[in-house]
Amino acid sequence: MAEAIQTAQAEEQAAPVDYANYQPEEITKKDVALAWLRFYFADEIPHCFDKYIAPALTWALMPILKKLYKRKEDLAAAYQRHLLFFNTAIAWGGGTITGITAALEVARAKELTSGLPITVDDDLIYNTKAGLMGALAGIGDSIDSGTVQYIFIAIALPWAQEGSALGALFPFIGFSLYQLIIGYYFAQLGFGLGRSAANELVGSKMQGVIEALSILGLFMMGVLAASYVTVSSPLAFTLSGKEFVIQDILDSILPGLLPLVTVSAVYLYFVKKGLNVTKALLGLTVILGVLAAVGIL
Amino acid sequence: MEATMQVTVVQALLIALWVAGVMSRALLGGATTTMRFTPMMTGLVVGVVFGRVADAMVVTAAIQLIYMGVFSPGGQMPSEPAIAAAVAVPVSLLSGQSAESAIAVAVPVGLLGSYLYQLRFFVNTLVMSRMADDAANNADSAKLSFAIIGMPIIIAFIIFVPFMFVALYFGVPVISSIVSSASGTIIFHVLETIGGGLASIGIAVTVYAIGKKNYVAFFLLAYFMSTILSSLNVTMITYAVVGMLIAFIYILVKNETVEMVGTGAGGSSVADDDDDDY
Repeated sequence: MAEAIQTAQAEEQAAPVDYANYQPEEITKKDVALAWLRFYFADEIPHCFDKYIAPALTWALMPILKKLYKRKEDLAAAYQRHLLFFNTAIAWGGGTITGITAALEVARAKELTSGLPITVDDDLIYNTKAGLMGALAGIGDSIDSGTVQYIFIAIALPWAQEGSALGALFPFIGFSLYQLIIGYYFAQLGFGLGRSAANELVGSKMQGVIEALSILGLFMMGVLAASYVTVSSPLAFTLSGKEFVIQDILDSILPGLLPLVTVSAVYLYFVKKGLNVTKALLGLTVILGVLAAVGIL
Repeated sequence: MEATMQVTVVQALLIALWVAGVMSRALLGGATTTMRFTPMMTGLVVGVVFGRVADAMVVTAAIQLIYMGVFSPGGQMPSEPAIAAAVAVPVSLLSGQSAESAIAVAVPVGLLGSYLYQLRFFVNTLVMSRMADDAANNADSAKLSFAIIGMPIIIAFIIFVPFMFVALYFGVPVISSIVSSASGTIIFHVLETIGGGLASIGIAVTVYAIGKKNYVAFFLLAYFMSTILSSLNVTMITYAVVGMLIAFIYILVKNETVEMVGTGAGGSSVADDDDDDY
């Protein structure tokens, strides 16, 4: 596929095209909003091993690309360049990169159709996407999926435990709207600032927000661990006529000790061995199961 | 007892279609994130289909606990909570056993579900990816749209609907009768213990993913605070407000310290720069 793009470029250089009849239309905030909505919808529908979610970004940008590239060869080249491997988190990465890529394509189409040398080339567009997608996915996964989503769930879980449908509806509606809204903001930010949006996102203002969200996330995880991890020991034995209940002794030393030990053990496992969730899940199931079967837990 | 342990064709089909919609990621698009990462919405749908919403929500809440904090760093999930709930909640409703019994069913079904999602990846790579390349080379926009949106949805429904239907229509009644005959044995104590402890996985994943080791102090602060205050029934929203205030104060203090060091003297310029912090 990279070859196909190169051939297309070589052809352009060989025979200059008269672009008088192929002038691009103007791209407005509305087009960017539509592109974001399309990305939000397509996101992981076309998930696959070789491209990941690149087809979703391509589909999101299609109306913009059609407005920019009126010549079939240019449109084909544009589709091709966005089908290369791409993976990121939906709102932080997807929103921002949809906006930035739209801005880059506008600049490119302008250069192409006015006969200027193309500075916004395939490499620049791809490297901008590739440079941002990982960093923004890291923020998006840990802040959105890992933290904000679970704050919504944590708030609603007591309702579900009482049998209310709100327990399911509240986190679903709340989190979906949250991602839709921040993604829209990031898309417009990315489009308005072009590549400098990246600086904005890693700038000090946003760093403060990310840091605050990290603290809030860790704080809420602490509350969740205390409320929802329940590990206790039923062990009791009688020594010279006096009954000792292990759990009572533990509670008198430090309440909540066993759940904390469990969470810490899993955390330290990830720190030492890397993030292997399936192994941790199976390992902990076996350990807890055996300890429960022999009566220690 | 036997008579009640049945799933009708319509019930099985409705739930299978729902799961396929979620796993194709096409049901409201990006909104499927919450539907796939948590069992809650699927549990609600099962409740509606069986006409027992309240019971279903209680069971789903217990399943949610083992998936607390589970998300997909990089798009790969260790387990599929929605698929787990689609099978485990009906089992619990039919067998009439405690919510803990649902966990025994949810864990293996969820793991199996993650292989089905891998299969979707694989088939998409073979079929959709090539079709999209072909359409792009010819600038064929209509075909490209179909390759990116239509084709993967069709693939997902072909993979998930038959599997879920068979699991629900034939599997659930069998699993239900096994579960109900195992009630009262030590197996239930074991399951209860596992269910109570597994929530630690998701929480540890999140703490690890946030990745700021020194900030674990905030985790511990909240942990002990909420253990000490457990008898007061403080709501999650209250804790969220307290957490936000603590985060805000920390950033405030940090920025002012940076400014004091930066200007070399007292914080006279602090008031002017306040908006810049947020």
